[in-house]
Amino acid sequence: MSARMFVAYFGSEDGILGATRAVREAGFEIHDVYTPYAVHGMDEAMGQRPSRITWVCFFAGAFGLAVALALQIWTSAVDWPLNVGGKPHNSFPAFIPVAFELTVLFGGLTTVAALFLRSRLKPRMSNAHVLPRVTDDRFALALVVEGHAFDADRAEAICAAHGVVETDFVEVSK
Amino acid sequence: MTCLHCENAPCETVCPVLATVHSSDGLNQQVYNRCVGTRYCANNCPPKVRRFNWFEYDHGEPIERMVLNPDVVVRSRGVMEKCSLCVQRIQAGKADAKRAGRPVADGDIRTACQQSCPAGAIVFGDLNDPKSRVAALVKSGRNYRLFEDLNIGPVVSYLTKLRNPGSKEGV
Amino acid sequence: MSHAVSPLREPLVSEARTLHQLTDEIARPMERRPTKAWWCAFLASFSALVLGVYCVSVQVMTGVGTWGLNKTVGWAFDITNFVFWIGIGHAGTLISAILFLFRQKWRTSINRSAEAMTLFAVMCAGLFPIIHMGRPWFAYFAAPYPNDRGPLWVNFRSPLVWDMFAISTYFIISAVFWYVGLLPDLATMRDRAKSAIRKAIYGALSLGWNGSQRTWLRYETVYLLLAGLATPLVLSVHSIVSMDFATSILPGWHTTIFPPYFVAGAVFSGFAMVLTLMIIARHVMGWKHLITIRHVENMTKIMIATGGIVGFAYATEFFTAWYSGNELERFAFSNRAFGPYAWAYWIMVGCNVLIPQFFWFKKIRTSVAAVFALSILVNVGMWFERFVIIVTSLHRDFLPSSWAMYAPTFIEVGTLVGTFGLFFTCFLLFIRVLPAVSIAEVKAVSGYARKIGVTTEFREQSAKKPVDSWRERNGEPNGHGGRTPPQPQSTQRSEEKKKGDKKEDAGAGADLVTEAGE
Repeated sequence: MSARMFVAYFGSEDGILGATRAVREAGFEIHDVYTPYAVHGMDEAMGQRPSRITWVCFFAGAFGLAVALALQIWTSAVDWPLNVGGKPHNSFPAFIPVAFELTVLFGGLTTVAALFLRSRLKPRMSNAHVLPRVTDDRFALALVVEGHAFDADRAEAICAAHGVVETDFVEVSK
Repeated sequence: MTCLHCENAPCETVCPVLATVHSSDGLNQQVYNRCVGTRYCANNCPPKVRRFNWFEYDHGEPIERMVLNPDVVVRSRGVMEKCSLCVQRIQAGKADAKRAGRPVADGDIRTACQQSCPAGAIVFGDLNDPKSRVAALVKSGRNYRLFEDLNIGPVVSYLTKLRNPGSKEGV
Repeated sequence: MSHAVSPLREPLVSEARTLHQLTDEIARPMERRPTKAWWCAFLASFSALVLGVYCVSVQVMTGVGTWGLNKTVGWAFDITNFVFWIGIGHAGTLISAILFLFRQKWRTSINRSAEAMTLFAVMCAGLFPIIHMGRPWFAYFAAPYPNDRGPLWVNFRSPLVWDMFAISTYFIISAVFWYVGLLPDLATMRDRAKSAIRKAIYGALSLGWNGSQRTWLRYETVYLLLAGLATPLVLSVHSIVSMDFATSILPGWHTTIFPPYFVAGAVFSGFAMVLTLMIIARHVMGWKHLITIRHVENMTKIMIATGGIVGFAYATEFFTAWYSGNELERFAFSNRAFGPYAWAYWIMVGCNVLIPQFFWFKKIRTSVAAVFALSILVNVGMWFERFVIIVTSLHRDFLPSSWAMYAPTFIEVGTLVGTFGLFFTCFLLFIRVLPAVSIAEVKAVSGYARKIGVTTEFREQSAKKPVDSWRERNGEPNGHGGRTPPQPQSTQRSEEKKKGDKKEDAGAGADLVTEAGE
């Protein structure tokens, strides 16, 4: 799945930040911004909402905690209770370390899995879908062209005001 | 020294694989085929009564094999072992009593050390049976337990030496 | 807008670099053939690894009896090495997670290799709980899995089971954290790659990363969450390691001070190891402007703090032993300082309490050679700390009848050397195949990105270039003529890269000359 986009390349963080904010305020539809590193303040410039992955992490962690406690209590006190050093079958305080570790393990792995799934990160042998130099020193702003009247001159003028170095129409994968 | 078969055995708590646990008889059991040999139990044993099989000890000689007790499993390399209070004799005694349809009587079961001690200094029996000889000795006032300050609750206890039995001061 | 950084602060990247130069400098060492120095280091480490493999094979085939242990001293080199390596690993997580949460931007140029160090150290550490077993082929008994033995589970009251969970979780989470951090850089490597094989490998590993801001936002959130999870995790791991001792009843082990004391000690020894490695790396790779004196100084300051905590813990242990009035406790500690292993105790105190005091002097903190030597001494001291805790507590326990002495055998020493071999072999391979400095993060903190200091001219240079518009390409007004239609990898791009490379070569050479006098 790909669509034709207007792509403006910038050489600096400030350029792309300013241009992104300006095109959004001018009513253009931003497809995405491609940067070599995480540009702080870009979420605000693009008008993104905070990621909901934090909730995934929280619930996965809580699930890990529940699984750990259930496993320990069930195996130690229900499935085969054994007298170990005269300790109670349900030695709850001794179960805290493993419960904690599994909370972290489930929370961490699920969060990363959620990132991979949500951002569709999967092994790809080619880099044909990647805009040139955006993993090196270029910052690219991709604007949606299709579906509405796209004023290329205006977009270019805004970008030029923010020090654009190259503009292009490219097929960008969605 | 022999294993004290502690009621709150420090060795049991630390074993990761449940290779040493308490039996319903009150024995501290060592399960050889479960033991992976972390030696944590031995480190945590105050009287250091546990012995580790550092190597595979060869018992290939046919003559040598004849001295091995057929009732006791030969421990392989890498496992911890210790006094089992002759668990094989306890099991045999209990089985005999069951076949005869009666409860195990005091003196039915004798451990190997008890049997071979010429002075009869070792007594084995059921501490929960108030009429047993061992229970009477424990209550005799001469009895003491090792490492009482550690609260490990040894089941094997000792009797103090009697000094000046004629005078009232002695004990 | 970008965050304001006081111009008074020393820049984190101490020389002006464009973004492309940064990419180039970090990626170049992986794209050329290994240097002679690398081969020498690799062969030395690999030989040590081979020795380790031999020693472990002999031990696994013959029995733990090949070690110098006895019934009283059931753990010695094995668990000492285990705790030592785990401790080394903790500095990596501290740098990558805890300093991230505290927004310490100086971590960026060292976090990647510090995390790699964590992984390799945990691999070395994880080896010992397995090979120290009498029957290592049954190590899986310690995992709770459904079985037909009852089913017989594991003893969740045992600190060794906690250890198994803690260390495997720690390894997995550290590896994931490291991999997630690597994604953008793997994409950079993929886009630079010239050979099809490299492109395919980096392509598969970088998971199609395209620098999308939508992904970056989630990525940053996930990174923050992982840092938030890894921080308590690292504290828990060493606390649990310390509980191997603290939950036992042996005088000298049975103390409640252990968790914080071990965590501080782990960070202390870990930073010593990070310093040792980074000082080597900045020399060998020519990254003196990325791993600056400021980084070295910051790490020595952390060592003063954690070394102070460790020294205070040593004193507290003695006070507690005396104040407890417990004869066994008192004996355990007087035996530690004045008994048969007093030499080990005083090496430990010398290296861990006295040596860090040198770092109070700015002259020493800023002398790379001095810091290098002192960091090695701290590593020695921290190894001895674990040896002292384990062996001196065990060899004189409750009953004088069981007292014994311990001396390592060749096999044990060879195994320790072998773990160093494993560690350095992995590390050397790592700096050959993966970006050892986080390219994306260094770019974010470089002066170029933040518009400060000497970098203004670099920015102007790129700004002066004429706009390369789509109109020109389509033959519209004042174009350069019929250019090829834009493709993801246009010829123009590779041309520019070549030019950049040439310029850069000259620049890099000049750096080495000017920095030799540093």
